[in-house]
Amino acid sequence: MISVTVVAVISLAYLGLLFAVAYYADKRREAGRSVISNSYIYSLSLAVYFTSWTFYGSVGRAATTGLDFLPLYLGPTLIAFSWWFLLRKMVRVSKDQNIVSIADFISSRYGKSAFLGAVVTIFAVLGIMPYIALQLKAISHTFNLLSGRTIPVTHGVQNILPAMPLLDTAFIAALILGLFSVLFGARHLDASERHEGLVAAIALESLVKLIAFVTVGIFVTFFLFDGFGDVFRQFLEKFPDRGHLLLVDTPQIPYTTWFTLSFVSMMAVMFLPRQFHIMVIENSREEHIRDAMWRFPAYMFLITLFVIPIALGGLILSGGDAAQADYFVLEIPLQTGHLWLALLVFIGGFSASAGMVMVESVALSTMILHHLIIPVILKLRMGPDNMSGLLINLKRLGIFGVIFLGYIYYRIIGESYALTNMGLISFLAASQFAPAFIGGLYWKRANRQGALIGLLFGLVIWFYTLLVPSFVRSGWLGSEILEEGLFGISLLRPLEMFGLTGFDIWTHSLFWSLLFNLGSFLTFSLLASPSEMEEEQAIKFVDAMAPPQEIEQRKRISKAPSIIEFVDLMSKFIGEKQAHAAIAQYMGDRNIDEKGSLSEYEQPSLKRFTERTLAGSVGAAPARIIIDNYLATRGSRMEDVFDIFGSVTLSRTSSREQLGVLYEAARVVASGADIQTILDNILDFLRQQFKFDLCVIRILDEDEMVLKVRSQKGMSTEHLGESERELTMDTAIGTAFLTNSVVVVNDSDFMEKPISAQIIHKEGIKSFAHAPITIEGDPVGVLSAFSRSAKGIFTDEFVELFKSLAGQIGVAWRNAQQTARIIQAREQEKEMEIAKTIQISLLPTKVPAIQGISLAGVCVPASQVGGDYYDFLPSTNALDLVIADVSGHNVGAALLMAQTRTFIQSKAIEHPSPSQIMSSINEFFYNDLTRAELFITMFYLRYHVEHRELSFASAGHSLPIVRRADTGTCEHLDAEGLILGVRKKVEFQENKVHLNPGDILVLYTDGVTEAEDHEGNFFGDERLCTLVKENANHRPDEIIDNILKQVRLFRGSQNFQDDVSLVVMKIE
Amino acid sequence: MKKDGHIRVKEAWVLFFLLGVVMLNYPFLHIFNKGYLILGIPMLVLYFMIGWPFSIFIIFLFAKTTRDNGPPHSQFDKRKGPGSE
Repeated sequence: MISVTVVAVISLAYLGLLFAVAYYADKRREAGRSVISNSYIYSLSLAVYFTSWTFYGSVGRAATTGLDFLPLYLGPTLIAFSWWFLLRKMVRVSKDQNIVSIADFISSRYGKSAFLGAVVTIFAVLGIMPYIALQLKAISHTFNLLSGRTIPVTHGVQNILPAMPLLDTAFIAALILGLFSVLFGARHLDASERHEGLVAAIALESLVKLIAFVTVGIFVTFFLFDGFGDVFRQFLEKFPDRGHLLLVDTPQIPYTTWFTLSFVSMMAVMFLPRQFHIMVIENSREEHIRDAMWRFPAYMFLITLFVIPIALGGLILSGGDAAQADYFVLEIPLQTGHLWLALLVFIGGFSASAGMVMVESVALSTMILHHLIIPVILKLRMGPDNMSGLLINLKRLGIFGVIFLGYIYYRIIGESYALTNMGLISFLAASQFAPAFIGGLYWKRANRQGALIGLLFGLVIWFYTLLVPSFVRSGWLGSEILEEGLFGISLLRPLEMFGLTGFDIWTHSLFWSLLFNLGSFLTFSLLASPSEMEEEQAIKFVDAMAPPQEIEQRKRISKAPSIIEFVDLMSKFIGEKQAHAAIAQYMGDRNIDEKGSLSEYEQPSLKRFTERTLAGSVGAAPARIIIDNYLATRGSRMEDVFDIFGSVTLSRTSSREQLGVLYEAARVVASGADIQTILDNILDFLRQQFKFDLCVIRILDEDEMVLKVRSQKGMSTEHLGESERELTMDTAIGTAFLTNSVVVVNDSDFMEKPISAQIIHKEGIKSFAHAPITIEGDPVGVLSAFSRSAKGIFTDEFVELFKSLAGQIGVAWRNAQQTARIIQAREQEKEMEIAKTIQISLLPTKVPAIQGISLAGVCVPASQVGGDYYDFLPSTNALDLVIADVSGHNVGAALLMAQTRTFIQSKAIEHPSPSQIMSSINEFFYNDLTRAELFITMFYLRYHVEHRELSFASAGHSLPIVRRADTGTCEHLDAEGLILGVRKKVEFQENKVHLNPGDILVLYTDGVTEAEDHEGNFFGDERLCTLVKENANHRPDEIIDNILKQVRLFRGSQNFQDDVSLVVMKIE
Repeated sequence: MKKDGHIRVKEAWVLFFLLGVVMLNYPFLHIFNKGYLILGIPMLVLYFMIGWPFSIFIIFLFAKTTRDNGPPHSQFDKRKGPGSE
């Protein structure tokens, strides 16, 4: 025997070690480097399945009934083979939905039903609490065995009250385990309910129990005996009558029992709350499941390999006494004096118990909190403003509560039948979750009613066929009920329901409970129709593995809470820090509009996120209630989005309808109709397609700077459809134009702009939108659509479409403008042709032949028609020369010039001098010139052939050059005079010069001297003079040719900017 | 092509599961349910001692193969729930 102190100290030291490991794992997680996120730890932690009931009890079973301990490990092995599609889906769904317990899972699946969650929780607590009792019993019993304490434990209700059992090992164990469970599982609130520290501790415990058990196995098989063969040989020699322990199909283990045990253990390993917690909630990566599929079965194989040798060895050593068979594992080392080994076994068994109790109590307390306590708190609307502190304390209390319920159960029922078979009773309880769980995961029709009625049937029958008999055998109930049935009805005998006899208690119970459970689950699922919420959840669960799709219902929240309000709400339940962390993560990749809030269609998603986050702390059903209550108190409502496309969804599939609409619009734009028809057609189409009450297009009038209605379709309203709009931020339309962005009002009850609101309300509009019509990004108008019938028409998708339509209209508008411009250009071109024809027709066709002079003239029109004009007017004894340039390059200017020519040709001769001619031209054309906003520069010369005298007057024209033959110099002919058309009465100075033979007179327009080279220099007088000098010996037409040639060279181009006119006269 | 592969893998898991259920139940079990000793070990016990690890080994091989071929899906790892860092 080992002293109590040593055993106690070693146990506590072991717990301390576990805690250190757990603490380290938690710290590492906070640092972002998880130690448990690998498939070894995951597989090991799954072995929490292996409790002290199996650690000690397997050997007990093997020694008493035979091989029926094996199905309890073969079943999980088989189901593990299915994990890649079953468990992975469970994990996927749970992560997606932020599910934290099996009750949460079932309640979530069936429309977040609070009632269903409560039923599952109660079922689980009833089924598991005795299992916890079993663990406490194992710890206390082995502790006493090891330390040689023989304090007889008395049982029964009467013993609890008087003896405050301070020295009761089980009580102390419960207390310590409760404390550690709180430390591992409820140190702080965690929205995801993941406890890496706990997992690390469990994994270590799993390793310890494996080492302990295998060590004992090797010790018994190879040290006490001579290998496996020796054990079997000795056993069969000593107890030839117990050969059935090595066979199945015996009276104790018929094949039906074998099957039942494999089946319930399969279900247990999936649906026991602690298994669900470790497998699903604590799973950090789906990938780990792949390796766990063989590692977990391998673990079970290893740990059960030595069960038979130990059992048979124990029987051989004890002379066939199987009374203490449950503790052979501990007894053999003790009796053979290997205390260290016994201590190792004790620690192994303690690990098995402690691990189970910790995980189970954490899982159950979460379920109790979420599905029993919080719904009541919410219902009664009590609780402080900040619930997070209350919640964590309630959870801690729940952990102690669960463990102490187990303890009380242990004290009441004691070491009776009820306790030793509690493990299997729990397994059968877990099996009852299977129909609702698996059905819910793979069958969309499965609904709340089916699940609920199935579960209730399962619960009642399970209780009646398993717990009631166990109570009877513990002496808790009279045996009449077993023999005569409930109320004396023999058909209702708990072990022979409806007269079914010949099966063991497990098969019998499983058959009836599952028959009713599954039967009513299927029947009611088929009969009842699911609620909207259930259907939504059904899709999320059943299609969890499908590629993520937008299956969210399109909803909007009227009067939606702000982000801050959502954060405040979350803080209340999960604490401020967690709430802020959660929202930061959520906001990470969202679009935030200019007001710093979420777009209207993000709000429902934020609501879902908040609900999901809360679900982590309070469970899915309470989270839904919290959110619904919160929105209801604010007066916010979830509203269905009006399905504008008239199809099933507004999500990705709608792009086809969108394309259709845009295609149609593009067809209209390209139709080649006039702009008014195009605009009208687009509006007609838009209105009919989406049932708008009014659609309007306004285009900016650039002169008045107002938006003018260009087209409107739908109801006739003066305010919305017919009036102009100023460009101001006070109206929605003005805002859309000025900010060049879409303005959407989905609910006209909530409008910011009072002017708009007034008009909108007057017309009974419920929702509307304005999209700027743009050309190359610049707004030119606004497309508006109004609906009187529905709010919330303008979903994000529709706004996109609406924008595209406005873009199409922009294209149409631009096309129309371009067409107009082309027509205008063509007209201009035609006009130019005419002007050019007129101009050319004005120029003299031949040079007059006059004795004593030679003469030449040219006018080279520029690409754009100019207004140059020159003329020779011979008369007796004189020759009049005129050169003029009219500003303006159009038909008007050409006609004016034509008139001037007519005037000069008809009147010039009558006037005695150039200055008088100039005055009369000015007076005559002043009005016309002023009206046409034109000017004329002109130089008028009269050459008296006889006297070789030249008299001249100028109206602001470039000064002609005279090159003197005798001196070889250039003179400018200058006379003062205003440009024609500036003032009505103008005095023109008249000057005279005498010309000698050889002198050359050059008249030109500014097209010559103002010709520019590529650097912007003018050709200028100087160059002209030099040219004339150089060409003095040439004929006038040659001089002109050379000048033109040089000017072209100077410009570096064949063309001139302006008309170039030159007249050269040479005296002979 | 990849999708077909994934479906085959999924069906293979179901096959293993069903095969296991058959091999560990009546009537298959009845074949080995004899009192003989082989190598000093009862036949049924030997069946489990060999058959069980064998099936685990098959799953091990299969898990290894599917991983080498690349995981069919692992989107969940990229999607994070609140606080699941």
